Amino acid sequence: MSVISVSRLKKYFRVFKRKEGLLPTLKSLVKRPFETVKAVDDISFNIEEGELVGFIGPNGAGKTTTLKCLSGLLYPSEGKVRVLNYEPFKRDSRYLKQISLVMGQKNQLWWDLPSVESFRLNKEIYDLSENEYQKNLKELSELLDVGDLGKVPVRQLSLGQRMKMELIAALIHHPKVLFLDEPTIGLDIVMQKKMRDFIANYNRIHKATIILTSHYMADVKELAKRVIIIDRGRLIYDGNLVNLGRKYADHKVITAHFEKAVNGENFKHLGKIKTVNEKSLVLTVPKSKAISIATDLLNNYRIRDFDIEEPELEDIISIIFSHKTS
Amino acid sequence: MKKYLFVTKNSLAEYFTYRLNFVLWRVRVVISVLITFFLWQTIYSGRREIFNYNQSQMMTYVILLSFISAVVMSTQTFRVAEEINSGSLSNFLIRPLSYFRFNLSRDLADKIINIIFATIEVPLIILIFRPPFFWQTNPLNLILFFFSLVLSTLLFFEISMLLSLIGFWSREVWAPRFIFFILIAFLAGTYFPLDIVPAPLYSFLKLLPFTYLVFFPLRIYLGGVSVSFMATGLAVSSSWIFVLYFIMRKVWRNGLKIYTAEGK
Repeated sequence: MSVISVSRLKKYFRVFKRKEGLLPTLKSLVKRPFETVKAVDDISFNIEEGELVGFIGPNGAGKTTTLKCLSGLLYPSEGKVRVLNYEPFKRDSRYLKQISLVMGQKNQLWWDLPSVESFRLNKEIYDLSENEYQKNLKELSELLDVGDLGKVPVRQLSLGQRMKMELIAALIHHPKVLFLDEPTIGLDIVMQKKMRDFIANYNRIHKATIILTSHYMADVKELAKRVIIIDRGRLIYDGNLVNLGRKYADHKVITAHFEKAVNGENFKHLGKIKTVNEKSLVLTVPKSKAISIATDLLNNYRIRDFDIEEPELEDIISIIFSHKTS
Repeated sequence: MKKYLFVTKNSLAEYFTYRLNFVLWRVRVVISVLITFFLWQTIYSGRREIFNYNQSQMMTYVILLSFISAVVMSTQTFRVAEEINSGSLSNFLIRPLSYFRFNLSRDLADKIINIIFATIEVPLIILIFRPPFFWQTNPLNLILFFFSLVLSTLLFFEISMLLSLIGFWSREVWAPRFIFFILIAFLAGTYFPLDIVPAPLYSFLKLLPFTYLVFFPLRIYLGGVSVSFMATGLAVSSSWIFVLYFIMRKVWRNGLKIYTAEGK
Protein backbone atom coordinates (compact mmCIF):
# COMPACT_ATOMS: atom_id res chain seq x y z
CA MET A 1 0.00 0.00 0.00
CA SER A 2 1.51 3.28 -1.09
CA VAL A 3 1.45 6.23 1.26
CA ILE A 4 0.50 8.55 -1.57
CA SER A 5 -1.34 7.44 -4.64
CA VAL A 6 -2.50 9.76 -7.36
CA SER A 7 -4.33 8.49 -10.35
CA ARG A 8 -5.39 10.53 -13.34
CA LEU A 9 -5.54 13.71 -11.31
CA LYS A 10 -6.87 16.74 -13.11
CA LYS A 11 -7.35 20.24 -11.76
CA TYR A 12 -8.81 22.84 -14.06
CA PHE A 13 -9.33 26.47 -13.13
CA ARG A 14 -11.65 28.95 -14.71
CA VAL A 15 -9.82 32.19 -15.13
CA PHE A 16 -11.52 35.39 -16.14
CA LYS A 17 -9.80 37.22 -18.91
CA ARG A 18 -9.08 40.80 -18.01
CA LYS A 19 -8.76 43.28 -20.76
CA GLU A 20 -6.87 46.50 -20.77
CA GLY A 21 -8.46 49.89 -21.21
CA LEU A 22 -11.51 51.49 -19.67
CA LEU A 23 -14.20 50.39 -22.13
CA PRO A 24 -13.29 46.70 -22.24
CA THR A 25 -13.08 46.73 -18.45
CA LEU A 26 -16.58 48.16 -18.22
CA LYS A 27 -17.82 45.60 -20.73
CA SER A 28 -16.30 42.83 -18.68
CA LEU A 29 -18.53 43.89 -15.79
CA VAL A 30 -21.50 42.68 -17.77
CA LYS A 31 -20.03 39.78 -19.63
CA ARG A 32 -16.93 38.12 -18.30
CA PRO A 33 -15.18 35.87 -20.78
CA PHE A 34 -13.20 33.14 -19.11
CA GLU A 35 -10.85 30.45 -20.17
CA THR A 36 -10.06 27.11 -18.62
CA VAL A 37 -6.52 26.65 -17.38
CA LYS A 38 -5.37 23.08 -17.08
CA ALA A 39 -3.11 23.44 -14.06
CA VAL A 40 -2.83 19.69 -13.59
CA ASP A 41 -3.76 17.52 -16.51
CA ASP A 42 -3.97 13.78 -16.00
CA ILE A 43 -1.13 12.98 -13.62
CA SER A 44 -0.58 9.60 -11.93
CA PHE A 45 2.11 8.43 -9.51
CA ASN A 46 2.63 6.48 -6.30
CA ILE A 47 4.95 7.27 -3.44
CA GLU A 48 6.02 4.77 -0.79
CA GLU A 49 6.67 5.31 2.88
CA GLY A 50 9.88 7.15 3.70
CA GLU A 51 10.52 8.33 0.15
CA LEU A 52 11.77 11.84 -0.47
CA VAL A 53 10.60 12.94 -3.88
CA GLY A 54 11.53 16.12 -5.71
CA PHE A 55 8.95 17.89 -7.83
CA ILE A 56 10.51 19.84 -10.67
CA GLY A 57 9.01 22.03 -13.31
CA PRO A 58 9.01 25.62 -14.56
CA ASN A 59 6.78 28.26 -12.96
CA GLY A 60 3.15 27.45 -13.51
CA ALA A 61 3.86 23.79 -14.30
CA GLY A 62 1.36 22.59 -11.72
CA LYS A 63 3.67 21.60 -8.86
CA THR A 64 2.00 23.70 -6.19
CA THR A 65 -1.46 22.78 -7.46
CA THR A 66 -0.62 19.09 -7.11
CA LEU A 67 0.64 19.64 -3.56
CA LYS A 68 -2.52 21.52 -2.72
CA CYS A 69 -4.66 18.68 -4.00
CA LEU A 70 -2.62 16.24 -1.92
CA SER A 71 -2.93 18.29 1.24
CA GLY A 72 -6.67 18.77 0.85
CA LEU A 73 -6.68 22.47 0.02
CA LEU A 74 -7.95 22.05 -3.49
CA TYR A 75 -10.80 20.01 -4.78
CA PRO A 76 -9.63 17.84 -7.68
CA SER A 77 -11.57 18.38 -10.91
CA GLU A 78 -11.16 14.73 -11.78
CA GLY A 79 -9.17 11.70 -10.75
CA LYS A 80 -8.38 9.97 -7.49
CA VAL A 81 -6.05 11.10 -4.75
CA ARG A 82 -5.36 9.05 -1.66
CA VAL A 83 -2.86 9.87 1.04
CA LEU A 84 -2.44 7.54 4.05
CA ASN A 85 -5.63 5.96 2.81
CA TYR A 86 -7.63 9.16 3.24
CA GLU A 87 -9.28 11.39 0.71
CA PRO A 88 -7.45 14.66 1.36
CA PHE A 89 -10.27 17.02 0.42
CA LYS A 90 -12.53 15.62 3.14
CA ARG A 91 -10.00 17.02 5.61
CA ASP A 92 -10.64 14.34 8.21
CA SER A 93 -8.93 15.51 11.39
CA ARG A 94 -7.28 12.09 11.79
CA TYR A 95 -5.70 12.75 8.39
CA LEU A 96 -4.70 16.33 9.09
CA LYS A 97 -2.96 15.26 12.28
CA GLN A 98 -0.54 13.16 10.24
CA ILE A 99 0.44 15.63 7.56
CA SER A 100 1.89 19.08 7.19
CA LEU A 101 2.33 21.58 4.41
CA VAL A 102 5.05 24.17 4.51
CA MET A 103 4.80 26.98 2.03
CA GLY A 104 7.90 29.12 1.79
CA GLN A 105 5.84 32.24 1.25
CA LYS A 106 3.00 31.69 3.72
CA ASN A 107 3.23 31.88 7.45
CA GLN A 108 1.09 30.41 10.13
CA LEU A 109 2.93 32.05 13.02
CA TRP A 110 1.20 34.86 14.91
CA TRP A 111 3.05 37.88 13.65
CA ASP A 112 3.06 39.93 16.84
CA LEU A 113 3.67 37.14 19.32
CA PRO A 114 6.72 35.08 20.21
CA SER A 115 6.80 31.85 18.17
CA VAL A 116 6.33 29.71 21.30
CA GLU A 117 2.76 30.97 21.51
CA SER A 118 2.09 29.57 18.05
CA PHE A 119 3.82 26.30 18.98
CA ARG A 120 1.68 26.06 22.12
CA LEU A 121 -1.47 26.58 20.11
CA ASN A 122 -0.40 23.82 17.73
CA LYS A 123 0.29 21.58 20.70
CA GLU A 124 -3.40 21.92 21.58
CA ILE A 125 -4.59 21.65 17.99
CA TYR A 126 -2.68 18.41 17.46
CA ASP A 127 -3.53 17.04 20.91
CA LEU A 128 0.07 16.57 22.01
CA SER A 129 0.88 15.71 25.61
CA GLU A 130 3.21 18.07 27.43
CA ASN A 131 5.92 15.38 27.24
CA GLU A 132 5.60 14.83 23.50
CA TYR A 133 5.51 18.56 22.93
CA GLN A 134 8.64 19.25 24.96
CA LYS A 135 10.46 16.34 23.36
CA ASN A 136 9.57 17.35 19.79
CA LEU A 137 10.29 21.00 20.44
CA LYS A 138 13.70 20.18 21.88
CA GLU A 139 14.57 17.90 18.98
CA LEU A 140 13.47 20.38 16.31
CA SER A 141 15.16 23.30 18.05
CA GLU A 142 18.41 21.38 18.15
CA LEU A 143 18.19 20.20 14.56
CA LEU A 144 17.54 23.75 13.42
CA ASP A 145 19.84 25.36 15.96
CA VAL A 146 17.46 28.12 17.01
CA GLY A 147 18.41 28.62 20.68
CA ASP A 148 16.13 31.04 22.47
CA LEU A 149 14.61 32.64 19.40
CA GLY A 150 11.21 31.18 20.27
CA LYS A 151 10.75 33.92 22.84
CA VAL A 152 11.25 36.75 20.35
CA PRO A 153 8.15 38.22 18.64
CA VAL A 154 7.97 36.85 15.11
CA ARG A 155 8.01 40.26 13.45
CA GLN A 156 11.50 40.88 14.88
CA LEU A 157 13.00 37.75 13.31
CA SER A 158 14.98 37.66 10.08
CA LEU A 159 13.56 35.76 7.12
CA GLY A 160 15.83 32.78 7.74
CA GLN A 161 14.99 32.65 11.44
CA ARG A 162 11.30 32.95 10.68
CA MET A 163 11.48 30.08 8.19
CA LYS A 164 13.05 27.90 10.88
CA MET A 165 10.25 28.81 13.27
CA GLU A 166 7.66 28.05 10.59
CA LEU A 167 9.22 24.62 10.20
CA ILE A 168 9.08 23.97 13.93
CA ALA A 169 5.42 24.99 14.03
CA ALA A 170 4.67 22.79 11.02
CA LEU A 171 6.53 19.76 12.37
CA ILE A 172 5.79 19.93 16.07
CA HIS A 173 3.32 17.06 15.68
CA HIS A 174 5.81 14.90 13.79
CA PRO A 175 3.81 14.48 10.58
CA LYS A 176 4.21 11.23 8.67
CA VAL A 177 3.73 13.00 5.36
CA LEU A 178 5.26 16.34 4.65
CA PHE A 179 4.67 18.62 1.69
CA LEU A 180 7.34 21.27 1.25
CA ASP A 181 6.60 23.99 -1.25
CA GLU A 182 9.70 26.05 -1.97
CA PRO A 183 11.06 25.75 1.57
CA THR A 184 14.31 27.51 0.71
CA ILE A 185 12.91 30.42 -1.27
CA GLY A 186 14.54 33.73 -0.40
CA LEU A 187 17.13 32.20 1.90
CA ASP A 188 20.85 32.81 1.51
CA ILE A 189 23.20 30.00 0.47
CA VAL A 190 24.23 29.12 4.02
CA MET A 191 20.65 28.96 5.25
CA GLN A 192 19.61 26.94 2.18
CA LYS A 193 22.25 24.39 3.04
CA LYS A 194 21.11 24.19 6.67
CA MET A 195 17.53 23.79 5.60
CA ARG A 196 18.48 20.94 3.26
CA ASP A 197 20.44 19.17 5.99
CA PHE A 198 17.47 19.51 8.25
CA ILE A 199 15.03 18.05 5.71
CA ALA A 200 17.37 15.13 5.02
CA ASN A 201 17.73 14.45 8.75
CA TYR A 202 14.02 14.67 9.39
CA ASN A 203 13.34 12.23 6.56
CA ARG A 204 15.97 9.80 7.90
CA ILE A 205 15.08 9.97 11.60
CA HIS A 206 11.30 9.78 11.26
CA LYS A 207 10.92 7.74 8.08
CA ALA A 208 8.69 10.59 6.93
CA THR A 209 7.41 10.65 3.38
CA ILE A 210 8.32 13.99 1.86
CA ILE A 211 7.47 15.75 -1.37
CA LEU A 212 9.55 18.79 -2.08
CA THR A 213 9.19 21.41 -4.77
CA SER A 214 11.94 23.85 -5.41
CA HIS A 215 13.33 26.28 -7.90
CA TYR A 216 16.82 25.56 -6.70
CA MET A 217 18.10 22.49 -8.43
CA ALA A 218 20.63 22.09 -5.63
CA ASP A 219 17.79 21.29 -3.23
CA VAL A 220 16.55 18.48 -5.40
CA LYS A 221 19.98 17.19 -6.35
CA GLU A 222 21.07 16.91 -2.77
CA LEU A 223 17.87 15.60 -1.25
CA ALA A 224 15.85 13.53 -3.64
CA LYS A 225 16.72 10.18 -5.15
CA ARG A 226 13.56 10.26 -7.19
CA VAL A 227 12.20 13.15 -9.18
CA ILE A 228 8.90 13.83 -10.81
CA ILE A 229 9.05 16.35 -13.59
CA ILE A 230 5.93 18.24 -14.56
CA ASP A 231 5.45 20.68 -17.38
CA ARG A 232 2.20 22.44 -18.20
CA GLY A 233 0.23 20.15 -15.99
CA ARG A 234 1.57 16.96 -17.50
CA LEU A 235 3.95 14.46 -16.01
CA ILE A 236 6.96 14.05 -18.25
CA TYR A 237 9.41 12.11 -16.12
CA ASP A 238 9.10 10.02 -12.99
CA GLY A 239 12.09 8.11 -11.82
CA ASN A 240 15.57 7.98 -10.45
CA LEU A 241 17.64 11.11 -10.60
CA VAL A 242 20.74 9.20 -11.70
CA ASN A 243 18.88 7.52 -14.56
CA LEU A 244 17.63 10.87 -15.66
CA GLY A 245 21.24 11.97 -15.99
CA ARG A 246 22.09 8.85 -18.04
CA LYS A 247 19.07 9.16 -20.25
CA TYR A 248 20.14 12.59 -21.32
CA ALA A 249 23.87 11.97 -21.16
CA ASP A 250 23.99 12.02 -24.93
CA HIS A 251 24.49 15.77 -24.68
CA LYS A 252 27.53 17.90 -24.02
CA VAL A 253 27.83 21.46 -22.86
CA ILE A 254 30.25 23.66 -24.77
CA THR A 255 31.46 26.91 -23.26
CA ALA A 256 33.40 29.36 -25.39
CA HIS A 257 34.84 32.78 -24.52
CA PHE A 258 35.61 34.88 -27.56
CA GLU A 259 38.18 37.58 -27.99
CA LYS A 260 35.80 39.79 -29.91
CA ALA A 261 32.09 40.37 -29.57
CA VAL A 262 29.94 37.92 -31.50
CA ASN A 263 26.33 37.72 -32.60
CA GLY A 264 24.35 35.04 -30.75
CA GLU A 265 22.13 34.49 -33.78
CA ASN A 266 25.03 32.84 -35.62
CA PHE A 267 25.07 29.85 -33.26
CA LYS A 268 21.42 29.01 -33.20
CA HIS A 269 21.72 26.21 -35.73
CA LEU A 270 24.45 24.44 -33.73
CA GLY A 271 22.43 23.44 -30.66
CA LYS A 272 20.46 24.81 -27.75
CA ILE A 273 21.88 28.10 -26.55
CA LYS A 274 21.96 28.20 -22.78
CA THR A 275 23.42 31.64 -22.32
CA VAL A 276 24.95 34.05 -24.75
CA ASN A 277 26.34 37.52 -24.35
CA GLU A 278 28.80 39.64 -26.27
CA LYS A 279 31.90 37.62 -25.67
CA SER A 280 30.80 34.24 -24.37
CA LEU A 281 28.52 31.41 -25.32
CA VAL A 282 27.21 28.32 -23.54
CA LEU A 283 25.73 25.73 -25.83
CA THR A 284 24.12 22.33 -25.27
CA VAL A 285 24.73 20.02 -28.21
CA PRO A 286 24.21 16.34 -29.01
CA LYS A 287 27.22 14.25 -28.00
CA SER A 288 27.75 12.87 -31.51
CA LYS A 289 28.12 16.34 -32.95
CA ALA A 290 30.16 17.80 -30.11
CA ILE A 291 33.55 17.34 -31.75
CA SER A 292 32.62 18.70 -35.14
CA ILE A 293 30.90 21.71 -33.57
CA ALA A 294 33.92 22.33 -31.36
CA THR A 295 36.28 22.20 -34.34
CA ASP A 296 34.00 24.46 -36.27
CA LEU A 297 33.99 27.04 -33.50
CA LEU A 298 37.75 26.88 -32.97
CA ASN A 299 38.45 27.27 -36.68
CA ASN A 300 36.10 30.14 -37.33
CA TYR A 301 36.48 32.33 -34.25
CA ARG A 302 39.29 33.74 -32.18
CA ILE A 303 38.71 32.00 -28.88
CA ARG A 304 40.26 32.92 -25.55
CA ASP A 305 38.97 29.97 -23.53
CA PHE A 306 37.11 26.78 -24.35
CA ASP A 307 35.41 23.92 -22.45
CA ILE A 308 33.43 20.75 -23.19
CA GLU A 309 31.57 19.26 -20.19
CA GLU A 310 28.94 16.75 -19.14
CA PRO A 311 25.59 18.46 -18.70
CA GLU A 312 24.52 19.51 -15.20
CA LEU A 313 21.13 18.58 -13.87
CA GLU A 314 19.95 22.10 -14.72
CA ASP A 315 20.98 21.54 -18.33
CA ILE A 316 19.22 18.21 -18.48
CA ILE A 317 16.05 19.75 -17.19
CA SER A 318 16.26 22.60 -19.67
CA ILE A 319 16.86 20.11 -22.50
CA ILE A 320 13.75 18.23 -21.43
CA PHE A 321 11.64 21.35 -21.33
CA SER A 322 12.96 22.63 -24.65
CA HIS A 323 12.08 19.31 -26.30
CA LYS A 324 8.60 19.60 -24.93
CA THR A 325 8.07 23.09 -26.18
CA SER A 326 9.59 22.66 -29.63
CA MET B 1 -12.08 22.85 23.85
CA LYS B 2 -8.69 23.88 25.01
CA LYS B 3 -7.32 24.75 21.58
CA TYR B 4 -9.92 27.46 21.12
CA LEU B 5 -9.12 28.91 24.53
CA PHE B 6 -5.57 29.25 23.27
CA VAL B 7 -6.81 31.12 20.23
CA THR B 8 -8.63 33.55 22.52
CA LYS B 9 -5.56 33.87 24.73
CA ASN B 10 -3.24 34.54 21.78
CA SER B 11 -5.69 37.05 20.31
CA LEU B 12 -5.78 38.89 23.63
CA ALA B 13 -1.99 38.95 23.73
CA GLU B 14 -1.99 40.34 20.20
CA TYR B 15 -4.06 43.28 21.40
CA PHE B 16 -1.39 44.54 23.70
CA THR B 17 0.90 45.24 20.78
CA TYR B 18 -1.65 47.65 19.33
CA ARG B 19 -2.79 49.46 22.46
CA LEU B 20 -2.97 52.90 20.92
CA ASN B 21 -5.11 51.67 18.03
CA PHE B 22 -7.51 50.15 20.45
CA VAL B 23 -7.77 53.17 22.75
CA LEU B 24 -8.46 55.39 19.75
CA TRP B 25 -11.19 53.01 18.63
CA ARG B 26 -12.87 53.27 22.04
CA VAL B 27 -12.56 57.06 21.93
CA ARG B 28 -14.44 56.97 18.65
CA VAL B 29 -17.19 54.86 20.18
CA VAL B 30 -17.54 57.16 23.19
CA ILE B 31 -17.65 60.27 21.01
CA SER B 32 -20.36 58.83 18.80
CA VAL B 33 -22.41 57.88 21.87
CA LEU B 34 -21.97 61.38 23.28
CA ILE B 35 -23.10 62.97 20.02
CA THR B 36 -26.29 60.93 19.97
CA PHE B 37 -26.70 61.64 23.68
CA PHE B 38 -26.51 65.43 23.34
CA LEU B 39 -28.68 65.35 20.24
CA TRP B 40 -31.49 63.63 22.10
CA GLN B 41 -30.98 65.81 25.18
CA THR B 42 -31.59 68.85 23.02
CA ILE B 43 -34.64 67.29 21.41
CA TYR B 44 -36.08 66.55 24.83
CA SER B 45 -35.54 70.01 26.29
CA GLY B 46 -38.91 71.08 27.61
CA ARG B 47 -40.74 67.94 26.56
CA ARG B 48 -41.61 64.94 28.65
CA GLU B 49 -42.22 62.34 26.03
CA ILE B 50 -41.38 61.81 22.36
CA PHE B 51 -42.62 58.79 20.38
CA ASN B 52 -43.73 57.15 23.62
CA TYR B 53 -40.22 57.36 25.06
CA ASN B 54 -39.67 59.51 28.10
CA GLN B 55 -36.33 61.20 28.51
CA SER B 56 -34.82 58.68 30.89
CA GLN B 57 -35.74 55.77 28.62
CA MET B 58 -34.23 57.46 25.59
CA MET B 59 -31.05 58.44 27.45
CA THR B 60 -30.67 54.91 28.75
CA TYR B 61 -31.15 53.57 25.23
CA VAL B 62 -28.42 55.79 23.89
CA ILE B 63 -25.93 55.14 26.67
CA LEU B 64 -26.41 51.39 26.68
CA LEU B 65 -25.78 51.39 22.94
CA SER B 66 -22.05 51.57 23.58
CA PHE B 67 -22.24 48.53 25.83
CA ILE B 68 -24.40 46.57 23.41
CA SER B 69 -22.20 47.27 20.42
CA ALA B 70 -19.18 46.14 22.42
CA VAL B 71 -20.85 42.82 23.18
CA VAL B 72 -22.55 42.22 19.86
CA MET B 73 -20.63 44.07 17.18
CA SER B 74 -16.98 43.80 18.13
CA THR B 75 -15.46 41.36 15.70
CA GLN B 76 -12.37 40.30 13.81
CA THR B 77 -14.29 38.52 11.08
CA PHE B 78 -13.33 41.17 8.53
CA ARG B 79 -9.98 39.37 8.52
CA VAL B 80 -11.66 36.31 7.02
CA ALA B 81 -11.98 37.97 3.60
CA GLU B 82 -8.36 38.99 3.73
CA GLU B 83 -7.32 35.47 4.74
CA ILE B 84 -9.27 33.99 1.85
CA ASN B 85 -7.85 36.44 -0.68
CA SER B 86 -4.25 36.24 0.47
CA GLY B 87 -4.39 32.46 0.65
CA SER B 88 -3.45 32.31 4.31
CA LEU B 89 -6.72 30.47 4.87
CA SER B 90 -4.65 27.46 3.79
CA ASN B 91 -2.83 27.62 7.10
CA PHE B 92 -6.10 26.97 8.88
CA LEU B 93 -7.38 24.33 6.48
CA ILE B 94 -4.23 22.29 6.79
CA ARG B 95 -4.68 21.87 10.55
CA PRO B 96 -7.36 19.91 12.41
CA LEU B 97 -9.19 23.04 13.42
CA SER B 98 -12.66 24.38 12.78
CA TYR B 99 -12.34 27.74 11.10
CA PHE B 100 -15.71 28.86 12.45
CA ARG B 101 -14.83 28.07 16.03
CA PHE B 102 -11.46 29.67 15.47
CA ASN B 103 -13.23 32.86 14.43
CA LEU B 104 -15.63 32.70 17.34
CA SER B 105 -12.66 32.37 19.70
CA ARG B 106 -10.82 35.23 18.03
CA ASP B 107 -13.98 37.35 18.32
CA LEU B 108 -14.33 36.41 21.96
CA ALA B 109 -10.99 38.11 22.68
CA ASP B 110 -12.23 41.20 20.89
CA LYS B 111 -15.43 41.18 22.88
CA ILE B 112 -13.72 40.65 26.24
CA ILE B 113 -11.55 43.72 25.79
CA ASN B 114 -14.38 45.86 24.43
CA ILE B 115 -16.72 44.82 27.23
CA ILE B 116 -14.13 45.67 29.86
CA PHE B 117 -13.79 49.15 28.39
CA ALA B 118 -17.55 49.60 27.99
CA THR B 119 -18.23 48.65 31.60
CA ILE B 120 -15.83 51.39 32.64
CA GLU B 121 -17.17 53.95 30.16
CA VAL B 122 -20.87 53.57 30.84
CA PRO B 123 -20.68 54.36 34.59
CA LEU B 124 -18.27 57.20 33.80
CA ILE B 125 -20.69 58.78 31.33
CA ILE B 126 -23.50 58.43 33.86
CA LEU B 127 -21.36 59.95 36.63
CA ILE B 128 -20.14 62.87 34.56
CA PHE B 129 -23.28 63.86 32.65
CA ARG B 130 -25.82 62.67 35.22
CA PRO B 131 -28.52 61.83 32.71
CA PRO B 132 -31.81 60.39 33.94
CA PHE B 133 -30.83 56.73 33.76
CA PHE B 134 -33.34 53.93 34.00
CA TRP B 135 -32.28 50.94 36.11
CA GLN B 136 -34.20 47.82 35.21
CA THR B 137 -34.98 45.78 38.32
CA ASN B 138 -37.42 43.18 37.02
CA PRO B 139 -35.44 39.88 37.04
CA LEU B 140 -37.39 38.49 34.06
CA ASN B 141 -36.43 41.47 31.91
CA LEU B 142 -32.82 41.28 33.03
CA ILE B 143 -32.52 37.56 32.36
CA LEU B 144 -34.16 37.87 28.93
CA PHE B 145 -31.98 40.91 28.20
CA PHE B 146 -28.80 38.91 28.72
CA PHE B 147 -30.21 35.92 26.89
CA SER B 148 -31.15 38.02 23.88
CA LEU B 149 -27.66 39.52 23.92
CA VAL B 150 -26.23 36.04 23.39
CA LEU B 151 -28.59 35.52 20.45
CA SER B 152 -27.70 38.92 18.99
CA THR B 153 -24.03 38.05 19.22
CA LEU B 154 -24.47 34.80 17.33
CA LEU B 155 -26.67 36.50 14.75
CA PHE B 156 -24.14 39.25 14.16
CA PHE B 157 -21.33 36.72 13.89
CA GLU B 158 -23.20 34.85 11.16
CA ILE B 159 -24.04 37.98 9.20
CA SER B 160 -20.50 39.26 9.41
CA MET B 161 -19.02 35.89 8.45
CA LEU B 162 -21.34 35.64 5.46
CA LEU B 163 -20.22 39.05 4.26
CA SER B 164 -16.60 38.07 4.57
CA LEU B 165 -17.12 34.79 2.76
CA ILE B 166 -17.85 36.88 -0.34
CA GLY B 167 -14.05 36.80 -0.50
CA PHE B 168 -14.26 33.40 -2.16
CA TRP B 169 -15.93 34.94 -5.19
CA SER B 170 -14.62 38.47 -5.25
CA ARG B 171 -11.55 40.34 -4.17
CA GLU B 172 -13.65 43.38 -3.41
CA VAL B 173 -15.14 42.62 -0.05
CA TRP B 174 -14.42 45.87 1.70
CA ALA B 175 -17.03 47.92 -0.17
CA PRO B 176 -19.99 45.56 0.27
CA ARG B 177 -19.11 45.14 3.94
CA PHE B 178 -18.92 48.88 4.44
CA ILE B 179 -22.23 49.62 2.77
CA PHE B 180 -23.91 46.73 4.46
CA PHE B 181 -22.79 47.82 7.91
CA ILE B 182 -24.09 51.32 7.38
CA LEU B 183 -27.39 49.72 6.47
CA ILE B 184 -27.24 47.40 9.46
CA ALA B 185 -26.47 50.27 11.81
CA PHE B 186 -29.63 51.93 10.60
CA LEU B 187 -31.85 48.85 10.60
CA ALA B 188 -30.55 47.55 13.91
CA GLY B 189 -31.52 50.70 15.74
CA THR B 190 -28.20 52.31 16.55
CA TYR B 191 -29.49 55.76 15.59
CA PHE B 192 -32.94 55.62 17.15
CA PRO B 193 -35.27 53.02 18.67
CA LEU B 194 -37.00 51.20 15.83
CA ASP B 195 -40.51 51.38 17.26
CA ILE B 196 -40.72 55.10 16.56
CA VAL B 197 -41.17 54.43 12.83
CA PRO B 198 -44.70 54.02 11.34
CA ALA B 199 -46.40 50.83 12.48
CA PRO B 200 -46.47 48.96 9.13
CA LEU B 201 -42.76 49.56 8.63
CA TYR B 202 -42.04 48.52 12.19
CA SER B 203 -43.91 45.21 11.75
CA PHE B 204 -41.84 44.57 8.66
CA LEU B 205 -38.59 45.40 10.47
CA LYS B 206 -39.50 42.90 13.16
CA LEU B 207 -39.22 40.15 10.56
CA LEU B 208 -35.66 41.08 9.62
CA PRO B 209 -32.69 39.73 11.56
CA PHE B 210 -31.13 43.19 12.04
CA THR B 211 -33.78 44.35 14.49
CA TYR B 212 -32.53 41.74 16.90
CA LEU B 213 -28.96 42.92 16.90
CA VAL B 214 -29.38 46.06 18.99
CA PHE B 215 -32.92 47.28 19.30
CA PHE B 216 -34.49 44.10 20.64
CA PRO B 217 -32.23 43.52 23.67
CA LEU B 218 -32.42 47.21 24.56
CA ARG B 219 -36.19 47.20 24.28
CA ILE B 220 -36.33 44.26 26.69
CA TYR B 221 -34.06 46.11 29.12
CA LEU B 222 -36.23 49.23 29.02
CA GLY B 223 -39.29 47.13 29.78
CA GLY B 224 -42.87 48.17 29.26
CA VAL B 225 -43.28 45.47 26.61
CA SER B 226 -45.57 42.48 26.65
CA VAL B 227 -44.37 38.95 27.31
CA SER B 228 -45.66 37.96 23.88
CA PHE B 229 -43.45 40.67 22.30
CA MET B 230 -40.41 39.18 23.99
CA ALA B 231 -41.37 35.59 23.18
CA THR B 232 -42.03 36.34 19.49
CA GLY B 233 -38.78 38.26 19.25
CA LEU B 234 -36.74 35.46 20.75
CA ALA B 235 -38.41 32.99 18.41
CA VAL B 236 -37.78 35.11 15.32
CA SER B 237 -34.14 35.76 16.18
CA SER B 238 -33.54 32.07 17.00
CA SER B 239 -35.03 31.11 13.65
CA TRP B 240 -32.74 33.54 11.88
CA ILE B 241 -29.74 32.10 13.70
CA PHE B 242 -30.81 28.67 12.57
CA VAL B 243 -31.42 29.65 8.95
CA LEU B 244 -28.25 31.73 8.63
CA TYR B 245 -26.21 28.93 10.16
CA PHE B 246 -27.19 26.61 7.32
CA ILE B 247 -26.67 29.28 4.70
CA MET B 248 -23.25 29.99 6.17
CA ARG B 249 -22.27 26.29 6.07
CA LYS B 250 -23.48 25.99 2.50
CA VAL B 251 -21.67 29.13 1.35
CA TRP B 252 -18.51 27.98 3.11
CA ARG B 253 -18.60 24.55 1.45
CA ASN B 254 -19.22 26.02 -1.99
CA GLY B 255 -16.52 28.57 -1.39
CA LEU B 256 -14.01 25.91 -0.45
CA LYS B 257 -14.73 24.07 -3.68
CA ILE B 258 -13.64 27.04 -5.71
CA TYR B 259 -10.99 28.22 -3.26
CA THR B 260 -7.85 28.40 -5.28
CA ALA B 261 -5.43 29.09 -2.44
CA GLU B 262 -4.03 32.06 -4.27
CA GLY B 263 -0.79 33.86 -3.62
CA LYS B 264 0.86 30.49 -4.16
